[in-house]
Amino acid sequence: MKNKKHTPPKFFLNFFRWFCHPEMSDYIEGDLMEVYDRNLKKLGKGKADWKFIIDVILLLRPGIIKPRKAYQNLNSYSMYKSYFKIGWRTLFRNKDYALMNIAGLALSITCCLLIFTLVKHHLSFDNFHENNEQIYRIVTEMHSENEHYSTGVPTPLGTLVRDNQTFSEKTARIYIHPNALITLPEEEEKIKYKEASGVTFAEPEFFNIFNFHLVEGSIESSMNALNSAIISERLAVKYFGDKNPIGKTILLENDLEISISGILKDIPDNTDFRSEIIVSFPTFKSFMPWLASDDFWSGISGNLQTYVVLNPSTPTYEAEEALTYYAQEYPINKQTKSVYKLQALSDIHFIDRFGGGVIDKNHLWILSAIGIFLLLTACVNFINLATAQALRRAKEVGVRKTMGGQRRQLFWQFMVETGIITAISIFIAIIAAYILLPNLNNLYETNLRLALFTDRSLILFIVVLGLVITFLAGFYPGYLLGGFQPITAFRQKLSQQHIGGFNLRRTLIVSQFVISQVLIISLIVVINQMRFTKNADLGFDKEAIVMVKAGDYAISKMEAVKNECYRLPGVEQVSLCNNAPASADKWETDILRGNSQEKMDFLINMKLVDANYVSTFNLDIIYGRNLIVSDTVMEILVNETLVELLGIINPNDALGSHISVNSGNMKGQIVGVIKDFHDRSFHEAISPTILASASRHYSHFAIKIDPQDIQSTLEGLRSIWQGNYQDQVYEYAFLDDRIEQFYLTENMMLSGIQMFTIIALCISCLGLYGLISFMVTQKTKEVGIRKVMGGGEIHIMWIFGKEFVLLIGLGFVIASPIGWWLMQRWLQDFAFSIQIDIWTFAIAGIGTLIIAAATVSYQVLRVAFLNPVLSLKAE
Amino acid sequence: MKDYQLGEFEEIVLLTVGILNNVAYSIGIKDEIESRLSRTVSMGALHTALKRMEDKDYLRSYAGEATEERVGRPRRYFEITALGKKALQHAKATREQLWAAIPDTIWQAKLMGI
Repeated sequence: MKNKKHTPPKFFLNFFRWFCHPEMSDYIEGDLMEVYDRNLKKLGKGKADWKFIIDVILLLRPGIIKPRKAYQNLNSYSMYKSYFKIGWRTLFRNKDYALMNIAGLALSITCCLLIFTLVKHHLSFDNFHENNEQIYRIVTEMHSENEHYSTGVPTPLGTLVRDNQTFSEKTARIYIHPNALITLPEEEEKIKYKEASGVTFAEPEFFNIFNFHLVEGSIESSMNALNSAIISERLAVKYFGDKNPIGKTILLENDLEISISGILKDIPDNTDFRSEIIVSFPTFKSFMPWLASDDFWSGISGNLQTYVVLNPSTPTYEAEEALTYYAQEYPINKQTKSVYKLQALSDIHFIDRFGGGVIDKNHLWILSAIGIFLLLTACVNFINLATAQALRRAKEVGVRKTMGGQRRQLFWQFMVETGIITAISIFIAIIAAYILLPNLNNLYETNLRLALFTDRSLILFIVVLGLVITFLAGFYPGYLLGGFQPITAFRQKLSQQHIGGFNLRRTLIVSQFVISQVLIISLIVVINQMRFTKNADLGFDKEAIVMVKAGDYAISKMEAVKNECYRLPGVEQVSLCNNAPASADKWETDILRGNSQEKMDFLINMKLVDANYVSTFNLDIIYGRNLIVSDTVMEILVNETLVELLGIINPNDALGSHISVNSGNMKGQIVGVIKDFHDRSFHEAISPTILASASRHYSHFAIKIDPQDIQSTLEGLRSIWQGNYQDQVYEYAFLDDRIEQFYLTENMMLSGIQMFTIIALCISCLGLYGLISFMVTQKTKEVGIRKVMGGGEIHIMWIFGKEFVLLIGLGFVIASPIGWWLMQRWLQDFAFSIQIDIWTFAIAGIGTLIIAAATVSYQVLRVAFLNPVLSLKAE
Repeated sequence: MKDYQLGEFEEIVLLTVGILNNVAYSIGIKDEIESRLSRTVSMGALHTALKRMEDKDYLRSYAGEATEERVGRPRRYFEITALGKKALQHAKATREQLWAAIPDTIWQAKLMGI
């Protein structure tokens, strides 16, 4: 507005412009203004405004409102075509910008796609069953001195619920036997398979509750008959190839003969029921008579699970109330108060409290948040780069506007350009996601697929993502470009005021660097902690020790195998034991001191070992002597922690005293004290531990081998083992690998952080590059003048250098405490952890600085060494 | 009759355009009507009427000068066309016909009534 007096209410003026017929709008607007002007002089602003509003409202009548679209008889197709053409040309003219934009967007879209697939996969678990809202698993909470949770319930509970309760419409019990050994006896050569997903014994109702379909056979006949099973199509092919599997026999654990009477359609990926062999429940009685017994209330197994379909009219709390009767009537044991709860099917995949949860839902939300964050930063960078570039396009805008281009059209032109970039990025991202998916599958042990053409939600996601990105990234630059006044654009008077605040950009860059530095700090701390867990002295040797499970636990055979092993040249030591010094499975038991009947108020970790154990693992006996082998517990070695807990100040005094463990069943005399070793992961403190000799409990060979010639020794061990245990499948693991398994989550997290650190760094560098290009464009002339006046290159580089040093420094100041706090919390999960030292921060700060310097150097050097003639002559 | 449709307000506007002769534009017309007939005229009603009569070819318009108080928007001047004049004539004639047809006694009775 040239005349400041004329300020009628903007809203109503715009409203008028919007509804008025374009033929008349100019004249009527002029009238409105004239009247307004007059009223303003005569009546003052308030009344004039009011009259203006009334006038506008009275103008809203049929003769004046524009007809719907009728006047727009233009065919705008050719205009859109031109948008695309110009967009494409601009893209090619500014290859570097286009490339950076596309790279940034593609990177974040790739992450979004992968995260979307992963989150969707996990959320879809077991959602394909009919009535899946109504399916519950009965689980057990046991309250005693310590809480105990289990996915299982006593065996008879399911039957009683089915027969006597109305809250459940269908009830099914299953028993999952994991890691099953399957032998095919009918084939010419006995073939053995280890099925990690195991074998499930299931009642016929299981198939009424869950949607698993048969390809051949019938549930009725297979699941009611004794020793009858159905197997999946995949296993049928694996076991029998082209032959008809129906009627064939398989052998479970070399013991139970089962005949196959049906074929199951392959199990979908998104279910937690993984067993591909389903055996009729009556067979369970012969497989595990004690657990299958109908009056076995005195124990529960997490693998014996009971599922119900709840009557829709019964709320869960009522059903749980009904179950309390059984908990009181048939207590699992006298000391514990047990409570049966219903766990919804949709929670089974996510909640680990009762066991079996695979992923915490929070992880999924965190991942989603990361995806959104990456997307936002990429959009922000796009905006930064695009506005920096806007200056160059000012002339184009000026020409377009002079030729009658409207702001709206310029806006949409830019949106089309953004759309082109987004489309290219999405295309690249899809390809990248395809390439990266196998890695992700490895990392998370999933079997994800990008079903681009069949998965409707994925297609929808991609389309929505494209639109959102185009809008987010294109809106502001488009708005800005469209708003250039042609006259200022031509006179090259545009400056930063016209194209957005500088401080906003700075803030965005700083926040990006805060995040990437926090990630770097976390990365360094996690790597250090992982290195610490790997390299720290555990108190025993873990290198070059192979743990081999015995085929059966007969001591004579184990001794024989042990002696045979010694004949191999690469074998240094062999020890028989129930597990390694640090092991995931442990035998925790109570302890009584001397002849007292009073149990101590802690549990001990008991390891049953032979005399070689100490030398095989190089344990350190600090007082007393080693064990002498015996069939039952006679002599005991204790660790320092136990000595301390027993209240013995001088460990020497412990020697000779008697303790009994395992409810008094094992009694022995302490003959030695060993130095503490880490019997668990670093998450937990060292537990009080005893080593005792009891040959009937040995289950493993711990074999220390010569690291020089591992391969042939392993071969030798295998053939000895196979020779002795022909029916079994040879399994071995290196102890250090087993210990590595303790830190599975941490290692998974580590690779996740690694990935996100790299991505976040890339994106923040893109942002920085955008900022520096923007500054360079701004200051080209300034630099020219400085050079003419005698400014050196170093001086000029510092003009830009100080900018990014400042930004990163600020980012570092914010990131350090955040990173420190986060990592301090993370380290609290470990009983044994490193200290976060100053170097962590130093590396993070200096590293970022170097990377950032590399990012900006091209632009800065270019402008610093530019001949001032070039920058100054263009006026 | 059918050929010359002219509403009451339209007639007034058309007449005013005639009065203003060559300087008739919306605000001018509005002011003229307001001062002569002492009734307020809303811009919406006026513009609708003008547009309708232009569509009926009683008026024609041309763009005029832009002034500062109109923030650069042009005025639009109106003139009566020949058809418009005929319509006015016709309206006047029909009225007079009707006037003439009223018996004089009506007027007297009315006066007496007051």
